[in-house]
Amino acid sequence: MSNVIVNRVKEFLNRFPPFHFLDEKTLMAVAKAVEVRYFGAGEYLFQKGDPAQDFFFVLREGSIHLIDQEDKGEKIVEICDEGDVFGVLALLGKRPYILNALVKEDSLVYAIPVAIFEKVLQENSRVSLYFAAGFASGQVVVRRDLSQGQKARSELKESSQDNGLLIFTGQSDMNFSKDVLCVCQGTSIGDAAKAMAEKGVGSVVITDDRKFPVGIITDKDLRNRVMAKGLSYEVKVEEVMTSPVITKRKDAGFAHLYLTMIKNRLHHLIFTEDGTVQSPVTGILSDHDILLSQGNSPAVLINALMNTWEVSEMAKVRDRAELLLKYYLENEVAMDFVANIISEINDIIIQRAVQLAKQKHDADHPEAANVKFCFLSLGSEGREEQLLRTDLDNAIVYEDVPAENEAAVRKYMLLIAEEIIEILLACGFQACPADMMANNPEWCQSLTQWKRYFSDWILSPNQKALMHATIFFDFRPVFGHRPLSDAMTEHIYQEISGKSVFLNFLAKNALLNPAPLGFFKNFIVEKSGEHRDKFDIKLRAMMPLTDMGRLLVLSHRVVGINNTFKRFEKIAELEPNHRELMLEAGKAYEILMRMRAIEGLRSGSSGRYIQPEALGKLQRQLLKNAFAPIDELQQVMRVRFQLDYFNS
Amino acid sequence: MMGWLDFLFGKKVAKTTFVEAYEALFAKNIPDQRPISQLNFTVLDTETTGFDVKKDYIVSFGAVKVIGYRLQLNQSKEVYLNTPIQKADSLKVHEILYPIEISPLRDFAEDFLHYVGNDIIVGHHICFDLGMLEKLLKQYGLRNLLNPIIDTQALAMRLEKGPHYDPRMGKRGEYALDALCERYGIALDDRHTAAGDAFLTAQLLMKLLKLAEQKGIRTYGELI
Repeated sequence: MSNVIVNRVKEFLNRFPPFHFLDEKTLMAVAKAVEVRYFGAGEYLFQKGDPAQDFFFVLREGSIHLIDQEDKGEKIVEICDEGDVFGVLALLGKRPYILNALVKEDSLVYAIPVAIFEKVLQENSRVSLYFAAGFASGQVVVRRDLSQGQKARSELKESSQDNGLLIFTGQSDMNFSKDVLCVCQGTSIGDAAKAMAEKGVGSVVITDDRKFPVGIITDKDLRNRVMAKGLSYEVKVEEVMTSPVITKRKDAGFAHLYLTMIKNRLHHLIFTEDGTVQSPVTGILSDHDILLSQGNSPAVLINALMNTWEVSEMAKVRDRAELLLKYYLENEVAMDFVANIISEINDIIIQRAVQLAKQKHDADHPEAANVKFCFLSLGSEGREEQLLRTDLDNAIVYEDVPAENEAAVRKYMLLIAEEIIEILLACGFQACPADMMANNPEWCQSLTQWKRYFSDWILSPNQKALMHATIFFDFRPVFGHRPLSDAMTEHIYQEISGKSVFLNFLAKNALLNPAPLGFFKNFIVEKSGEHRDKFDIKLRAMMPLTDMGRLLVLSHRVVGINNTFKRFEKIAELEPNHRELMLEAGKAYEILMRMRAIEGLRSGSSGRYIQPEALGKLQRQLLKNAFAPIDELQQVMRVRFQLDYFNS
Repeated sequence: MMGWLDFLFGKKVAKTTFVEAYEALFAKNIPDQRPISQLNFTVLDTETTGFDVKKDYIVSFGAVKVIGYRLQLNQSKEVYLNTPIQKADSLKVHEILYPIEISPLRDFAEDFLHYVGNDIIVGHHICFDLGMLEKLLKQYGLRNLLNPIIDTQALAMRLEKGPHYDPRMGKRGEYALDALCERYGIALDDRHTAAGDAFLTAQLLMKLLKLAEQKGIRTYGELI
């Protein structure tokens, strides 16, 4: 690190409160952590309602206005210039911003990490008083250089409501209507609409003579399918209703119900007595019910994503999803729900990225743009387990085309792949260091070439092939023509059948890292390098489980289950004699995922390296329990795939 | 010592592993459409014993990284080198104020290549610094630095006067670092340290990049 530069920043900070309260050593530590940022006129550092950033700010040079946005218009609350401290809500309580910070002139800003200053606040009472005084009275903490005297500060009106994370905490919060408007088949649209108007509801369920639901009509249907089409009001409801309907039991569990709605993009979910369409209607849950009671909910985020084509907006939503994730993890929300929500959000971003890329380039490549392709997520994203935006792993498969068109089609596919990756990087995802991404010509291929790859890996399983297998065998179609991905799956099972030697190789690979049973006697930590004395939770605990989950799924020829913990659940069904062990392995994996994600969010990293001493007692116990099934499972695999006799 | 003799007698030098690792980073080009805010820049400056690439040597090296209009101080670098000739005079001029640790050349070469990686290298009047650095790196088997280059002096001229401006037409010193910093409102505190100048140049770069974006230069392809 450069002393010259750090000193320069330190000297500047030392001229202003609260920094001049700090002793030399502390100020030095603060200065070292500073991030210098540059903003052009017209940009916003933050906007009202944005979640608190991990930094607060000191203006080095330029001009920034703090603006209150009201219904009637905007009001400048404060004009910041050199040395002013702002954005401190991040420091105090991590609440969403209540003002807009608009850059009036190009500005150089020192961003100071909240993490480093929290310690200062605890240890230095003058500094905490300085902040507390400004904050407690509901004022913006903005002070001028003391030598220039106090700047007049305008009072904020009532500090705005904390509209942070309001999300469902339990089943009791789920509001739905038990009194459902139903009409029989054969009713006219006019009568149905009249009934809706009388009841003041936006939907009507159509039932048969046994009161079983057969369809649904909503306000939107009346608009689009009746009025816009000029249909007579005498037309029967069954001619315009959406049918069949998706039904659930009302006690199916909030997570499950909510996911069903998100996955199927349903606005209304119908409850029936036994959860099937073969029983009477008991209630209806609308997305409106959900939205009303939620702030930063998954539905709101997904809705925000579905309504934008701006990459910067998508990036913002993904950042907000991280807050949601943190809340879920801290509140022990079920892992499959969390993983599903985050995967769904990631998938929508990827789908948007593909669409954006196509919009940009299709006009220039009219022929190639008609070739069917499928964008595949690989690795952890393929398994729907990527909670944090760690490495991107993905690929493209396109349908086989005549040899004379191949070059042009390839060029187009690589072009949009490049575009997609750039958008995803801009949304905060990290590039794959091994370049396993769709913009790598090797992984942007025709179906035939992909089949050839898989055949190669299966027929001659060397070390590299196994490495590829661990990533590529977990592919999952995210956008495009799914039959291409299905064809790949089918090809893999065809190749594997009768070639058990490949499974033996996979098994051997899965046992390379023994379970870290010595964890509590003697930590197995990294011996050298950046992560010395830390425990590699991914390599030591998660990878053995993902590898064995994949191996078992392949050996049972299970299709379409990608989650490691869901794989173990499935295998528990298929192998009743190992049921307990498999379920435990699945649970262990959920615990490890949660710990890794929490660590990642805490340290702003991939969360892969955990410091054993930093764990609380409960976490240690959890981790210890999670290791036991790994070891047991490895022993089962060793016997099943006869690894003691299998050498190569 | 062998390295030096080989160098003096023009013998071909074997590549060190860190040079190989560095060169391997360039297997893939930066895509043209990558936006400026996603590009990685290493902004650097050197202080030397004089202005003759053949005779003079690097005394100190300073650098910072700029990514997405952000610069993290803990990623800045400041190195003082164990040069063959230490001119007492030159040290006096550069007024090194802090206790310094002298780095052996080989450590510096390895650190430097690891630090720049495949970033875009930026500097003010960068050709001179690059010449000095390449001379130093040659003894470890590096032929040329492979990074894309941006000279803030040339970039400022391009943005202010257009792409076909002939620098000989302008006023002397109009595009010196001091003059540009003054023009763009960047506080000149202590100049004449490599790190200090790298820090100034980085601030100038961010201003120029914003200006470039306003003028419609938004991607790597358009910038380079």
